[in-house]
Amino acid sequence: MGFKTLIIGLDGVPCSVIKELANKGVMPCIKDLMEQSIWGAMEVCLPPLSSVSWSSFMTAKNPADHGIYGFTDITPEYKLHFNSFLDIKTSTLFDRLGEKGLRSVVINLPSTYPTRSFPGVLISGFWSLELKKSVYPSSLLPFLKEINYKVDIDLPRAREDAKYLFESLRDTLQMRKKVAEYLWDREEWNLFMLVVTGTDRLQHYQFKSLIHKEGIWHEEVMDYYREVDELIEHYVNLFKSQGGDLVVILSDHGFTELKKEVYINSLLEEKGFLKFKNKSPDFISELDPKNTVAFALDPARIYVNLKDRFAEGIVSQKDFDKVRQQLQELFDNLNFEGQKVVKMVKMKEEIYSGKLMDKAPDMVLVSEDGFDFKGAVNGAGVFRDSDLEGMHTFDNAFYLIHTKDNSVKPPKNIVELARFIEENY
Amino acid sequence: MKEKIREAHKVIAEAFEKHYKSILCWTGGKDSTLLLWIMIRFCEGEGLSLPEIVFIDDGDVFPEIWDFINSTSKKWNLKVTILKNQDILQHVQEIGDRIDVNKLSKENQNELRKIGYSEEVFTYEPESYAGNHLLKTVPLNQHIVQNGIEAVFTAIRRDEHPARREEVFFSNREEPPHIRIHPILNFTERDVWNTIFEYKIPFCSLYEKGYRSIGARYNTRPTDSKPAWLQDFDLIPERAGRGQNKEQIMDKLRALGYM
Repeated sequence: MGFKTLIIGLDGVPCSVIKELANKGVMPCIKDLMEQSIWGAMEVCLPPLSSVSWSSFMTAKNPADHGIYGFTDITPEYKLHFNSFLDIKTSTLFDRLGEKGLRSVVINLPSTYPTRSFPGVLISGFWSLELKKSVYPSSLLPFLKEINYKVDIDLPRAREDAKYLFESLRDTLQMRKKVAEYLWDREEWNLFMLVVTGTDRLQHYQFKSLIHKEGIWHEEVMDYYREVDELIEHYVNLFKSQGGDLVVILSDHGFTELKKEVYINSLLEEKGFLKFKNKSPDFISELDPKNTVAFALDPARIYVNLKDRFAEGIVSQKDFDKVRQQLQELFDNLNFEGQKVVKMVKMKEEIYSGKLMDKAPDMVLVSEDGFDFKGAVNGAGVFRDSDLEGMHTFDNAFYLIHTKDNSVKPPKNIVELARFIEENY
Repeated sequence: MKEKIREAHKVIAEAFEKHYKSILCWTGGKDSTLLLWIMIRFCEGEGLSLPEIVFIDDGDVFPEIWDFINSTSKKWNLKVTILKNQDILQHVQEIGDRIDVNKLSKENQNELRKIGYSEEVFTYEPESYAGNHLLKTVPLNQHIVQNGIEAVFTAIRRDEHPARREEVFFSNREEPPHIRIHPILNFTERDVWNTIFEYKIPFCSLYEKGYRSIGARYNTRPTDSKPAWLQDFDLIPERAGRGQNKEQIMDKLRALGYM
C-alpha cells in the first residue's frame, strides 16, 4: 500500500483569486478544503514561467540545479534553444520515488515533453508537438487517440475567439477527466498528479472577466471554475474514501491584470547596450556580438555578453560588475508615465545556487504589477499594448495541504512544497 | 548544372593535387550521396583511388538509411568505415537515457569538459549541443587524429542554412588541424534533385516519403506527404522537419504572449 499523495495543479491560479472564488461559492469544494487544511500564498521562482516553475516543482530543486531558466536558452554561439523535458539536468521526484519502487501517474504536467522512460505513467503538458511523444508508456497511445486527446487547445484561435476558448476549455477538462478515470484504477500508484492548464489560458485571454463582475464573459469564466471545482471534489473525495494520505493543490505562479507590455530588448537597443546585424530582426540570434554589451531572453532574463561565456563576447570579467551596475540603474530608473516599471532587479547569485550557475542569466527583472516584460525582438517601441488581459506574477501562487499531520509548516515557495511532498516517502 | 559538376571536379582536383590524405563523410543523405557519385566519376576519370568513405553512426539512424548505405555500397563496390562513440552507445538504448558522466570513458569526460559541459549526467540526445559533439564530432576527430587525415570532404551547401552562406570551398579547421573541402557548395536544393534525376543517382527511400532533410530518427520528420523533390522549396524550408520545429513551438509560445 504505502503512502499515497494526490496532487492537483491549477496552472496560474492566484491565491487571492481562488480565495474569492471559494468565498463567493463558485468553488465550494475548495472552500471546504480550506477549512480543513493549511493553505495560502507562496512564491515560486524567477522568472515565473510555467516551464521554470513546474520544472522546479517536479525536481524539488532551483533552476541552477535543474537547468531550466526559461522557455528558451541561448548557446555560446547565440543560437536559441527551446528547453524540453530532455534538458532537465536532475532527476524528478517521480524518478526518485521510482528508485524506491513507487509509481506515479502524472497527467498534463507542463515541461515534460518529450516523454522518456518513467516509473509509472506520464502524459506531457504544454508544450508538445506530437501525441506519440507525449505519452509514456506508449501502450496508452491507442486510448488517447480513441478519445481524441489533445495536449492543448488551439491557442491562436482561442486568443481571438472567446466562444471557442470556453468550449475548448470545457472539452479539454472533460478529456483530462476521462484520462484520470481510465488510469485511476488501472494503474498502481503512490502519487497521482493532474494539472489543469486551462486556467492559465483563460487568465491570459480573459482575466478581466475573471476579476470583474461586469466582464463580458464573467458568467462563462465562473462556470469554468465551477467545473474545475467539481473535478477537484470528485477526485479528492474518491482519494480520501480509498484511504489516501495527502492532498496537495497548487498553482505554479500568480496572475495579475496586464496593463502594458515592456519590451526589454527594445530598451537595451535604445540605450546602446544591444545592436542587431540587420534592421528587422526576428530572433535574438541576429544580434551583432561585436557591438552588444547585454541582451534579454524571455521574459526579462538579462545576459551580459561576456568574453568567457559567449563565442564573440566583448565584456571582460573585470567589467562584469560595472556593466550590471549600469543595467541596474537603467532598470531602476525606468518609468512609464511616472510609474515605476521594475519592482526588483535580482542578480543571479541572489536567486540561484547550484552547479549550473554558469548557465544562469546574469540578472532577472521582477515587474511592478501590470507591466509584462517581453524578450521578443521584433516590432518597435519599449511600451506596447496587448490584447492579452493577464500576466504572470512570481508571488501570490496558491498552495493547499490537506493531511492528518498537524505539524505541517507552510511552504515558503514551490520548491519547499515539493520537498515536503517527497519527504513523506 | 553541368557547370556546377565541373566546378566540383575542379575543387576535388585541386585537393588531389595537394596529395592530402583524405576522407569523405557519407551520411546516406542526398547531398553526400551526390558528392560521393561526383567523387567516384572524377576518380574513375583520372585513375585515382577514392578517399576513405566514413559513415558516422550516432545510434539513432533510420533503418532506411542503413538499407540505403548497404545497398549502394554493394552497387558501387565501396568499403565504408563506420565511426561511432562506442563508449556512449554501449550505455544507452533510447533517446533520453541518462548516463552518469563519471561512468563515461576518460576521453569522453575530457571532451565534455572541453565544451564547457559541467553537469553530472549526460542525456543521450544526438542533436543536442553536447550530444552532437560526443556522438558525431568526437568519433570523426578521433579518426582524423588516429589516421593522420589531412582533409575531409563534406557535402554542405550554401543555401541549406543562413549560417552556411559565408562558407568557402576550402576551410581550415583547428583541433585537430585539418582542411574541410566542400565541392558542392554552390549546388542549390533544386540543383541536387535535378542532378540526381538527370544521372539516375540512387537516393534513400525516405525522400519519397516526404522527408526533405535527414538527421537523427527521433528528431526528423517529413515536411509533407509529397516526395521531397515535388515540395515547394520556397514555401517550406529544407530543414523544416529537423530539430525542434522551432516555428511550431514559437507559435504556441507567441499565442500566450511569451515570445
